[in-house]
Amino acid sequence: MSQPSAGISSGGTRVSPKDKDRGPNPLVGFLRTWGTILVIVATAVGFGFASPYFFTVANFNNVLFSMIVSCLVSVGLTFVVIGGSFDLSVGLTVTTSSIMTAFLIPVLGPWLAIVGALIIAAVVGLVNGLLVTYGRLSGIVVTLGMMFVLGGINIVMTNGYQIPVDYALTSFLYIGQGKVGMIAFPVIILLVVVFIMHIVATRTKPGHYITAVGDNPMAAYYSGVKVYNWVILAFMLAALMSGVAGVILTAVSSSAQPVGGEGYLLEAFAAVFLGATVLGKGKPHVFGTLLGVFFIYMVNSGMSMVGFPFAARQLFSGLILILAVGANAMLNREEIHLKFI
Amino acid sequence: MAMSEWILEVRDLEKEFSGTRVLKGINLGFRRGEVHGLLGENGAGKSTLIKILTGVYAASGGEILLNGEIVRIHNPLAAHRLGLGAVYQDAELIGDFTVAENVLLGNEPGSGFVNRSGIFAEAKAIFDEVGIDIDVRRKAKTLSAAEMQLVTLGTLFHRKYKVIILDEPTARLSGPEVELLFELIQRFLAQGITIIYISHRLEEVKRICDRVTILRGGIVSATLDRDEISEERVTELMVDRSRSDLETYNTGHATDRVVLELQDISTDKLEPLSLKLHAGEVIGITGPVGGGMEQVELALGGIVQARGAIVIDGRQVQIANPPMSRKAGISIIPEDRRRQALFPNLTMAENICLPVLSSLSRLGLVRGRLTNNYAEQVMQQLNVNPRHPNKAVKFFSGGNQQKAVIGKWLKAEARVYIFVEPTAGVDVGAIKEIYDIILRLAEDGAAVMVISSSTKEILSLSDRVIVIRNGAVVHEARKADCDYDQILAISMGGRGSTLAA
Repeated sequence: MSQPSAGISSGGTRVSPKDKDRGPNPLVGFLRTWGTILVIVATAVGFGFASPYFFTVANFNNVLFSMIVSCLVSVGLTFVVIGGSFDLSVGLTVTTSSIMTAFLIPVLGPWLAIVGALIIAAVVGLVNGLLVTYGRLSGIVVTLGMMFVLGGINIVMTNGYQIPVDYALTSFLYIGQGKVGMIAFPVIILLVVVFIMHIVATRTKPGHYITAVGDNPMAAYYSGVKVYNWVILAFMLAALMSGVAGVILTAVSSSAQPVGGEGYLLEAFAAVFLGATVLGKGKPHVFGTLLGVFFIYMVNSGMSMVGFPFAARQLFSGLILILAVGANAMLNREEIHLKFI
Repeated sequence: MAMSEWILEVRDLEKEFSGTRVLKGINLGFRRGEVHGLLGENGAGKSTLIKILTGVYAASGGEILLNGEIVRIHNPLAAHRLGLGAVYQDAELIGDFTVAENVLLGNEPGSGFVNRSGIFAEAKAIFDEVGIDIDVRRKAKTLSAAEMQLVTLGTLFHRKYKVIILDEPTARLSGPEVELLFELIQRFLAQGITIIYISHRLEEVKRICDRVTILRGGIVSATLDRDEISEERVTELMVDRSRSDLETYNTGHATDRVVLELQDISTDKLEPLSLKLHAGEVIGITGPVGGGMEQVELALGGIVQARGAIVIDGRQVQIANPPMSRKAGISIIPEDRRRQALFPNLTMAENICLPVLSSLSRLGLVRGRLTNNYAEQVMQQLNVNPRHPNKAVKFFSGGNQQKAVIGKWLKAEARVYIFVEPTAGVDVGAIKEIYDIILRLAEDGAAVMVISSSTKEILSLSDRVIVIRNGAVVHEARKADCDYDQILAISMGGRGSTLAA
């Protein structure tokens, strides 16, 4: 007998009571697609009125520069969330990679040190992925555990002190501090990486299969898609993005700090879920995540220009996030809502 | 060894679920390029057989031969690689992908990059060739159930299968779509693919199957050639006479008081239906799977919005969602227990006590001793074994889980109990106990509705029988006036079709 629940989840032709009074409304459709972008533009215009320095190239550059690490982490996390899991270890992977880079430079030289740091990051992702798939563990638990493990490793490696990078390594430091015309070199790296990741997510088979697995793993399994492999790859991509972020972080500050990665995690989650509402997709996507991070950092910069006190800034950021995501949820009411993650 | 006549053959296939033998040595061969029908009552072993063939279950004994060679099928992926494909009743698609992306999933053209226009073109070509008229650029989640079924069939063309198993493929299809399905099957045959076709609808089986095998109680009852297929013959071979003798029989507890009245209840898939259900009465609703009988349950459960009036104890009630259904005094014991009625990781006591928690609490705190006592009492009453109220429900057998679901609602004092396929997936030993519980509810004055595709179950339990097919009532009678063969024939679509006209 066909199960009623299959009907619920697939939606199909079923009419829910709330649909009846909501005819085809072009405004709702428009807002669903463009709402988040409208909010971003409106907020920017508001700050533009409040501060004459807001709409300047210098400020734009500044916002882009400050969001580099956060954006890379968020884009990586996007893949894991698309694939249907969570990764709480992405923030601390940044710190670990940063420390490994600084730690390995005196041993291997800067370029091999970068390779080493990226390999270590990828291994972190591999372990996460293996435990979540073959190990049958929950993504939240595994990566939470990994987060603590990395935190411990970071302290042990550094003894709690920062590791400096030799100022003579100018070519390495160029990665973080160089400029091409007006644009900071790491911003160029960021944009290139984000563009590549966007292509990976939307145009390549790995991106295609990760999306399929995240949407309906059972259907993917029956279609002969190697579900586990793609979940593992998603975790590895996330860790690798954090690894790149860690390398850049070391180059930017000419040193590696023992702590500080935790903050990126929360920003990344905010950005991914804000980004999911961009263009009305309802699911995370790389371009949306990019806008999400940009929005968070833009608001931050705007508020500091206008002179908001620190406490008010936090409050305001939180409210804007809930409003933007909430407004979108109000516009999407077709299906029975029974997921509370 | 001579080149085998069979593309696929099973020898002495056995399957045991916690001590109950569901398949008792199946010997069966499928010829290259034939359409082979598989018939049998619920519990005869059809689904177990196909689940073993597609790697969902492992066999307890016997062997499977593909092209004369013994193969091991550990999981669905292994079945896939061997060229054994299946379309299950609730077809699975990736909701956020387009139709085309779903059709080619796992077989995309090109390497590395996804060539969307290539995917659209290829899917369109397949659909054009086989005559499926669905825009390949639509998102799968916007499809109707029937469209999803067709798309799922479309996906099979892209996978190099040798054998395709279709499980009740017409359950969700309308007339023209069924014709399309038959055309698709002809195309599969033209490619040399063997089809195993499971259906409850005899007319279809007669039309497209070259041979048909009837399963009964876990063994092959007979295999017939197309010209041997007749309603009488098949019915006779399907009925398990040995089992029907020792069964429960409802001697009737119906009173004159009407508890539930449906006035012209209709949904998109159900034509207006009216009925009165009395206190102490058990009404049985049967018919082919997907033929509309489940709409009654969905409407009364508040999952599908129905037109018409529902009257309980003389008062008209509105049922827009499941909580309203509960409040109106309706308890539904659904077929899919694990997903819809139980919390598999919670303990037996926690599950049983859920609806009555407030009466087991003191000062707003749930009292462990009270819940344990209550759960033990219910478990004893319903003979749930083993009697460990603190064991997680997922460790109990199907039959005991079903009893737990009933136990949940026992003290909730519903006016109307609706049982959907109450013994599906239940081990044989527990079936009679569940029947006794259902009849005891009726005896105590509840109004009971049993919705089941098993004719035997319906005849054991009900006072009155209703057969729903193609969304309409085709037969209604007192049980005393029904006999097994007649009801089975009507629900399979033999004589019923003339009756409906």
